[in-house]
Amino acid sequence: MASTFLSLCLLLCFGVRLSFSGQSNSMESVPDLQKSMYKVVDGYPCVRLLSLSGPIGCSNPGRDKVVAPIVTFKNANQLSKSSAILVSLDEFESLLTRISGDSSFASKVAGVLVESGAGVQNKLKGFSPELKFPQVEFAPYHNTGHQWNPTGSGIMWKSYNFPVFLLSDGSTETLHEVATKNENNRKGYTANVAEFDLVMQVTKSGNHGSESCLKEATCLPLGGYSVWSSLPPINISSFDHSKPIILTMASMDSASFFRDKSLGAESPISGLIALLAAVDALSHVNGLGDLTKQLVFAVFTGEAWGYLGSRRFLLELDTHSDAVHGLNNSQIETVIEIGSVGKGFSEGGHRFFAHTSGVSSATNETLAALRHAQESLPSENIKIASPSDSNPGIPPSSFMTFLKKNPAISGIVVEDFDAVFANKFYHSHLDDISNVNSSAIVAAASLVARTLYILASEKEDARDSALTAINVNASLVEELIGCLLTCDPGLSCELVKSYISPSSACPSHYVGVVVDEPSSTPYPGYINDVPRFIWNFLSDKTSISNENGSTGCQEDCKSRDEVCIKAETDGKGVCVASTTRYVPAYSTRLKYESGVWNVLPPNSSDEMGVVDPVWTESNWNTIGIQVYTIQDAGYDRLVLFGGITITILAYVAIVITRAFITKAMKRD
Amino acid sequence: MTLAAGIGYALLALGPSLSLFVSVISKKPFLILTVLSSTLVWLISMIVLSGVWRGFLPLKTTTWWPFGILILTSVAFQEGLRVLFWKVYKRLEDILDAFADRVSKPHLSLTDKMQIALAGGLGHGVAHAVFFCLSLLTPAFGPATYFSDRCSQMPFFFVAAIIALAFVTIHTFSMVIAFNGYAEGNKLDQYSVPIVHLVAGMVTLVNLAPGGCTVGIPLLYCIAMLTLFHCGRMVWRRLTENQSR
Repeated sequence: MASTFLSLCLLLCFGVRLSFSGQSNSMESVPDLQKSMYKVVDGYPCVRLLSLSGPIGCSNPGRDKVVAPIVTFKNANQLSKSSAILVSLDEFESLLTRISGDSSFASKVAGVLVESGAGVQNKLKGFSPELKFPQVEFAPYHNTGHQWNPTGSGIMWKSYNFPVFLLSDGSTETLHEVATKNENNRKGYTANVAEFDLVMQVTKSGNHGSESCLKEATCLPLGGYSVWSSLPPINISSFDHSKPIILTMASMDSASFFRDKSLGAESPISGLIALLAAVDALSHVNGLGDLTKQLVFAVFTGEAWGYLGSRRFLLELDTHSDAVHGLNNSQIETVIEIGSVGKGFSEGGHRFFAHTSGVSSATNETLAALRHAQESLPSENIKIASPSDSNPGIPPSSFMTFLKKNPAISGIVVEDFDAVFANKFYHSHLDDISNVNSSAIVAAASLVARTLYILASEKEDARDSALTAINVNASLVEELIGCLLTCDPGLSCELVKSYISPSSACPSHYVGVVVDEPSSTPYPGYINDVPRFIWNFLSDKTSISNENGSTGCQEDCKSRDEVCIKAETDGKGVCVASTTRYVPAYSTRLKYESGVWNVLPPNSSDEMGVVDPVWTESNWNTIGIQVYTIQDAGYDRLVLFGGITITILAYVAIVITRAFITKAMKRD
Repeated sequence: MTLAAGIGYALLALGPSLSLFVSVISKKPFLILTVLSSTLVWLISMIVLSGVWRGFLPLKTTTWWPFGILILTSVAFQEGLRVLFWKVYKRLEDILDAFADRVSKPHLSLTDKMQIALAGGLGHGVAHAVFFCLSLLTPAFGPATYFSDRCSQMPFFFVAAIIALAFVTIHTFSMVIAFNGYAEGNKLDQYSVPIVHLVAGMVTLVNLAPGGCTVGIPLLYCIAMLTLFHCGRMVWRRLTENQSR
């Protein structure tokens, strides 16, 4: 019997051709094995935000991670069990609409993974998760039916009870392979699943609105720090600071469905870059201190979430706080806002629209200055057009805040569109560098710089010879585009690194949350990279050159008129004479008292505050996605059963053998 | 794969050893001591081997013969240790017999000696299972499973468990054959044990080929069955010989 056994074994041996080709998955330890079992996927989450009335955004439905097999949207029609749906961006909106409409389908959706890929902007005509009239409740006019953003679907303002992630390019391919493997799976007992960790603290504590979550400290209010700077610096110690002020502003924050992918290249960063370039151009002009008017530049944050920056700025002006020391609300004569200017390139020239509200002599003066500046720049081929009469008023912009406060204030909003946004990817993750044109930004910056000089000087002084000295540095604009709108070089570009040490290379223009007590002299660690860069940049450009350039300002600079710039770089900082300050940016309905955020009751004198949703962002522990293979629960039980059976069978066999031997021994 | 699967795999590899322990070994305290010390000795031998080979690992090769050398040296070391193990046991046996004389109790009987050999073999088997299977099983208690690309028909942990079971069988009964061979001076038994160990080790190399585990594992079980069979026949022969004396 043994011989037949042996021959059987030998047969098996010869019946196979051995080849050892193929790469071995080199694992050197059990932790390596563990790591190769769980694939970590790069994804950008959509997080839970709360307003006074309710939640928006996405979250895991409970305290636990969500585990579901991965299915592509095309095959999602017959879903037998709860699955994670892999969907391409062009079908994303229809998927979300279907989930909101069909509750039986919605119960089978455990999570959504959105693909990304190069060239998706070319396939899509437009993608905007924003409303058709962004921030309509803050408009200072009543015709709120006008659709500034017709491609808007409004999906980012709805609440979803499941996790949604945007995948990076590499992860999209990985997940495609995994989904295909799932479909071709012959082994019925395994499945490739995605594990979503998007557990939001407000879901765990059951908070449904901002008030309750702020009280329980399970969320933080949206906000940050705006920056303002005056050119030339305001001499605070002198008594005569009553020059009328021309305020030029832009905003630095954007929003998107996915929190960490809010680039906002065209809206509003193109305007921000134009403002920074204009400041740089004007800083080389001599005799700015002799001009009749004072130029002040302000960059607000939080504008996408209820005009937080501009509202708080005006409130601080009213209360004469330290952050706006040197400014007076009554001094502001004209406001110029640089909105989206990156798409003002058409038919070989540059076209911008000057949106105004109401007619006044100051407004006409500004428009005239704009035309004068336009004429002084023939090479740029700029056309300034008036917006059409069918527009209800100014487009959504920070100027709305100023108008609500003082409807008679004069100002214009420079945009590259007339009745409808030129930006087809407004407030989406696709509003990136491919959506802007650097020459349009250069043209806008030149226009604004020269307009400001014309407005600030007496009419006779605005000679063409003086104007031709004001030129925007096109390579600075290119550099700023590379620093603020790409990941390579991103914030580790030379320009940014000469001022700050950034926390990451990829810039993100999401406003963030207010981490600690807001103050006029905040701790730099609580301020995001981009505001810190802007503060340093503006301080540097608006500073009066200091002959005895003292290096190293670990303690504060000697006089109140000086600020310490480049403090994070190796040189340890330089004291320069400049008036550049941080202004906190958060809702005027919030007050920080003894470690807790309180929501103030609506005040009729603060019209915008009455309609302010007071956005807060939930706290969370970790966020991530993992992909791995699981076995059916039935298979696991089968294995356990098999193990127990073998143990019992072995026991029985041993007992029988022992009894047999004992019996045989006793035979004789 | 969760707790159920993890326990299942552990039982697959060590369940029969547990049964053997409970039914035979646990009845005599001396056997328990033998199992424990045997496990310790063989675990130390494997640690020494891994320490020596650490400098050469990982073997960056696509051919199989470096692994063959690894197995050859490890088996040679362990078989050398087995001879040493036998010598220590012989000494112990003499001491126990002398003690028995002093207290007028009988010497170790044949079944006693075989049980001690079985306990020694069980220790060797358990050491192998712990070293090659249980140490890998920690990820098996988590939610994910793993399929090796060279053996995609069965989960990796399942393969590890059943290979460990085969080796537990081989080691347990090889020790009985070996001790008997040394006691009787039977050259065939003395040499067949190292050869079977080496062949079993080399057969696992078949698993390196893509899909090779469908051939390698049945082959390994053939060898295990052969060992079991040979041991059974030898034990039967010795016991009946002893009876007829």
